Amino acid sequence: MNVRSAVKVGAVALASTLVLAACGSKNSSSSKKTVNFEESAEISTMDQSKVTDVVGFTQLGNTQEGLYRLGKKSKVTNALATNTKESKDGKTWTFTLRKNAKWSNGDPVTAKDFVYGWQRTVNPKTASEYAYLFSGIKNADKISSGKVNYKQLGVKADGKYKLVVTLDRPIAYFKLLMGFPTFYPQNQKAVEKYGSKYGTASDKLVYDGPYKQVGWTGTNLNWKLEKNNNYWDKKNVKMDTINYQVVKDASTGLNLYNSKKLDVANITGNQVAQYKNNKDYVLRKQSSMFYLQYNMKKEKVFRNAKIRKAISMSINRNQLTGKVLADGSTNPKGLVSSGLASNPKTGTDFATEAEVKPAVTQNLTEAKKLMAEGLKEEGKSNLTFTLLGDDTASTKQITEFLQSQIEKLPNVKVNLQNVPFKTRLSDSSDGKFDVVLSAWGADFSDPISFLQLFVSGNAQNNGGFSNKQYDALIKASNTTDATNPEKRWDDMVQAEKILMNDQGIAPVFQQAQSQLWSSKLKGVVYNTAGVNFDYKGLYLTK
Amino acid sequence: MAKYLLKRIFYLFLTLFLIASITFFLMKLMPGTPLNNQAKLSPQQIKIIYEHYGLNKPVWQQYISYIVDAAHGNFGLSYQFSDQPVSYLISSRIGPSLQLGAQAIIVGVFFGIIVGSLSAIRKNTWIDGASTFISILGISIPSFVLAILLQYYLGLKLQWFPIADWGGFSYTVLPTLALAASPFAETSRFVRTEMVDVLGSDYIELAKAKGLSRTGIVWHHALRNSLIPLVTVIGPLAAAIMTGSMVVENIFSVPGIGEQFVKSILVNDYPTIMGVTMLYSALLCAILLLTDIVYGIIDPRIRISGNEG
Repeated sequence: MNVRSAVKVGAVALASTLVLAACGSKNSSSSKKTVNFEESAEISTMDQSKVTDVVGFTQLGNTQEGLYRLGKKSKVTNALATNTKESKDGKTWTFTLRKNAKWSNGDPVTAKDFVYGWQRTVNPKTASEYAYLFSGIKNADKISSGKVNYKQLGVKADGKYKLVVTLDRPIAYFKLLMGFPTFYPQNQKAVEKYGSKYGTASDKLVYDGPYKQVGWTGTNLNWKLEKNNNYWDKKNVKMDTINYQVVKDASTGLNLYNSKKLDVANITGNQVAQYKNNKDYVLRKQSSMFYLQYNMKKEKVFRNAKIRKAISMSINRNQLTGKVLADGSTNPKGLVSSGLASNPKTGTDFATEAEVKPAVTQNLTEAKKLMAEGLKEEGKSNLTFTLLGDDTASTKQITEFLQSQIEKLPNVKVNLQNVPFKTRLSDSSDGKFDVVLSAWGADFSDPISFLQLFVSGNAQNNGGFSNKQYDALIKASNTTDATNPEKRWDDMVQAEKILMNDQGIAPVFQQAQSQLWSSKLKGVVYNTAGVNFDYKGLYLTK
Repeated sequence: MAKYLLKRIFYLFLTLFLIASITFFLMKLMPGTPLNNQAKLSPQQIKIIYEHYGLNKPVWQQYISYIVDAAHGNFGLSYQFSDQPVSYLISSRIGPSLQLGAQAIIVGVFFGIIVGSLSAIRKNTWIDGASTFISILGISIPSFVLAILLQYYLGLKLQWFPIADWGGFSYTVLPTLALAASPFAETSRFVRTEMVDVLGSDYIELAKAKGLSRTGIVWHHALRNSLIPLVTVIGPLAAAIMTGSMVVENIFSVPGIGEQFVKSILVNDYPTIMGVTMLYSALLCAILLLTDIVYGIIDPRIRISGNEG
């Protein structure tokens, strides 16, 4: 080859390389489907057995998968399970697993992975803070109290692709639990390989869900979800990349959204008023309820239902949610949050069906009358109590508002005590309060998640509310009526009505998250409880 | 000198030990558990998890094992970030805070000296008035207000700098400016006062009488002598700024340590509280020691001796 032809060949090669390179970059930039999301806090762990916060559950819900995924309105749809059999007494469940599911390390997902993951979570050595959800699965309670070895948990693999779960008692919401990350399978090989580092960074675990996480180092504020090519249903995953950035300040989020650096932004307070009529505004109801608990163990006056009713009836909740909070939070209909669960037969929302209007509506005349009667019955001329609440700016606003409302009742004086969150929790469980503003978020989309709280003697029933009829209804819903959805539903509706009529607690407001969503994002599943956001079906429109 | 240093280092360790002990017991007095899901756990469940972490042992036993571990530089595992060693948490988060703090100190002190000296030289003129006004703004505007304004105008409207996030140098500009306001204001006020003092002193009068040029006087005599006391102010200021600011870090989404520390206290993350407190204390002690040594070197009037130190 002479010099000239060598130059020619070289020139052609160079030109074609440049053209190809140009094509390559063009392709990747135009066909890569990317969105930019924010999170309000860091990921604290990706270990399914240890995660406790919404950020972690959302990450796991999109990078891992269990027997089911939950669709809109928490509709149970098959994921790793292809077939489910429930025994007549509701105590044995047999799941057939799909054979084409793989971990990101190439291992097949088998029944053994479920057995391993579940045993690891209930093992007291793991110190899981969500192991209590296993209560009802055979031996779970005995294992967590250390009486029985964790290997005795009522779950076993019947061959590679059949999972059999035995329960102590029928659990009506069992299928919902199976869609919750705590019940996803775990790859034993990965857990053992990474040991104490398991789940502490993106590359210290394996994935079996629609996306794989990349770039989370354990403490940083940026990471990505990338499409998982080992996922069995990858053809239905439309996004290539979801970028995440932790943004803790709402005005920063809004600025990033307005400059198109983010496709979604959480907004709060006065931003909501400003953007309420924007086409991108979305209101996300949350299964998070704020309510007053009265310390009936310590203060005899609070055992008087008239006094409790008077307090609840003195509160103008419209003003609280509309003017004071003004962030999209809504008036409560009862203890159970709206949008959580609907009647298995008629589809009516639980909160609507069980609503006792007078219990959550302001009526000052009636309230004054009831308070006067109540105080007379207790042989008192006035009532002074301390309202305990968190010391965050927003909770202070709420407790100050409640104080101004309740003090409209003659001879009633309210002192405020605002303390850090954890102190409020400890004081509540130690009974060191008169009245406390508490909050509860449901783990799964079933009313029992709330109603269970106020059974006599329950650990979260800090005020000591006790009503035999209520207890009996909740018990029936968990035992005799557990396998009869309609009867069980009626039990719970009745129980809620009793709780409201008796005003064992006074609901104050239901929390919501206001967001701006770029209108090009479609196909997101939002649920008020459990994994809030499912991005498996996310896609972009022009 | 060596004797003095040894003595100081001994006191440094004694101080750190006392801080560690006091923090430990104060922390144990805080109500609440370090668990993340405390609201949903029953007392029995909490007890089981406490056993796993050794939190059910008597406090003195926890104290001894804590002090022994801390002496070996082992602060244990964080509670809020499950299984994450506190040392890793700190080391991965301290970098951005140190960088922003150092930049803010350099920028703030540099411009503070210029503005402060100008103000002293042109005492009681409009220059003095303007610089006093700016310094007072710098002291009185909270850093978060400044941060939000900078972000809105320079970030969103003019798009000169990124709004938030952490990447290259351009990402550090806005948070640096927000943090620099207070060292700038402090330095300029301090330099002005010192310099006015120095300019009125006898040796400056003498220099003038000898016919030295005005710039020569300011540059060689006034400025140098008024900067010496500044060393004592900058040290602690640097320690405070370099350990991170929660608000500025939150607004600009900086992965720093400032916010971590505040949050660890709120959620009772004992190991992280201890780790960060010890780091801050060590940093402050070291800077104070350094300041004293430097002071002795640059100001010949101060003599360090083993007996008097």
